[in-house]
Amino acid sequence: MTVAADALWWARARARGPLRVPAGTVAPEGLARLVEPDGRDVWILPVPPEQAGGGAIEEFGLSGTPPEQPNDTARLLAAVVRCCWTDPTAAIWPGADVPWDAVTSVFRHYADRDESAFLRAAVAAVRRLHGAGWVLWDERGRRVRLGPRVAGWSAADLTVLRELYRQMPGPREGRPRDQPQDRPRDQLLEPREGDAG
Amino acid sequence: MNGVHPAFDAVLADLGDRHRDEVLAAFAAVEHAAQPVPEGSLAALRDATLRATLQRLLREVGRTLVQAGPHEWTSGYRDDVAAAVLATDGNPLPVADRAVLALVLVHSVAIPRSQGLLDRDAWTSAHPTPVEELQRFARLPREQLRAALARLRAAGLLQLVPERGRGAGQGSAYLPGPQLHRLTPAARRRLQEELVLAAAPDTPLAAAVRARRPQDRQEGHRTGE
Repeated sequence: MTVAADALWWARARARGPLRVPAGTVAPEGLARLVEPDGRDVWILPVPPEQAGGGAIEEFGLSGTPPEQPNDTARLLAAVVRCCWTDPTAAIWPGADVPWDAVTSVFRHYADRDESAFLRAAVAAVRRLHGAGWVLWDERGRRVRLGPRVAGWSAADLTVLRELYRQMPGPREGRPRDQPQDRPRDQLLEPREGDAG
Repeated sequence: MNGVHPAFDAVLADLGDRHRDEVLAAFAAVEHAAQPVPEGSLAALRDATLRATLQRLLREVGRTLVQAGPHEWTSGYRDDVAAAVLATDGNPLPVADRAVLALVLVHSVAIPRSQGLLDRDAWTSAHPTPVEELQRFARLPREQLRAALARLRAAGLLQLVPERGRGAGQGSAYLPGPQLHRLTPAARRRLQEELVLAAAPDTPLAAAVRARRPQDRQEGHRTGE
């Protein structure tokens, strides 16, 4: 007998992170489908009921695997949200495709230190976020987008995030570009790391 | 994002609200907690009937309950699903990462186990692998080794030994990470066999491993869904 299709999709997404597949791919009900702005690909993303998600375990005194440099990682994600979520009344994903310099101009407000240490911290943080699917980072093209994982944030999370968004300074330079499909697909690196367990 | 959850609804439909919440809480705990969860803390781990429902729910999404110790639970990939994921997508770890992980497992688990210092079946360990050991045997450029270690730490497959545990003047050192708790009994056995094949391919033990492999595959087909 073969493995059920649903079980295989859930497990693949756990192992790899969100899966980018051609738009015609049939995925089971119960997994979110996020269409890329160019319409050619979709991301397949498991979204369990909120009570079964990672955010639910703190109340039992448990913790997930913390990211390295959690403060820098969270601040850089906040900077990407601030730059890419150009209309906070709209859905957070896909958002805009913005220059890396715009993101670092926001990150600098929260991580002001000498230039080389600042850039090292920013690159290390965006690499971690890209690896986990929170951010899509085109290193060579120096562009950043929000990753598909942010589409799993609940309405309650987004309400809190909107408040924080309004308190954050905007990017100093670089105008967002709303059409990431202008670029060749292979410049958008895909997340590499998932949960190995 | 809200949504339809057929996999969850199918298993939980017959439960009352309280039991449903308890099973979902236990699902979140075993799936997302970094470490195994003591069963005393959650009703659906303590109670055998609810635990069976949790197991059915995990199976729907390709997972299974794993007992990590007495009264401690976590989850892992079902053996048949892990094989299907590998067949579909290949190994998610780059070869350099696998080499580094294997070195830590040899140093921190296989060698202490051969000396009788570790339980035969455990893949976690308190015997650190110094980073110099990895630099010496992995034969990777320093930057590549650094990147591999970062990815393995992020995946929970390795953990850095806290500085206070290493003694003054010692360099950094690594231990197998908490994800190793998620290996099923069959996965633990396969890992043991792979290390035997890699470290001592010409021994009678390795010959015995190779001889039983085809039989394993048949068993896998029989137990798969």
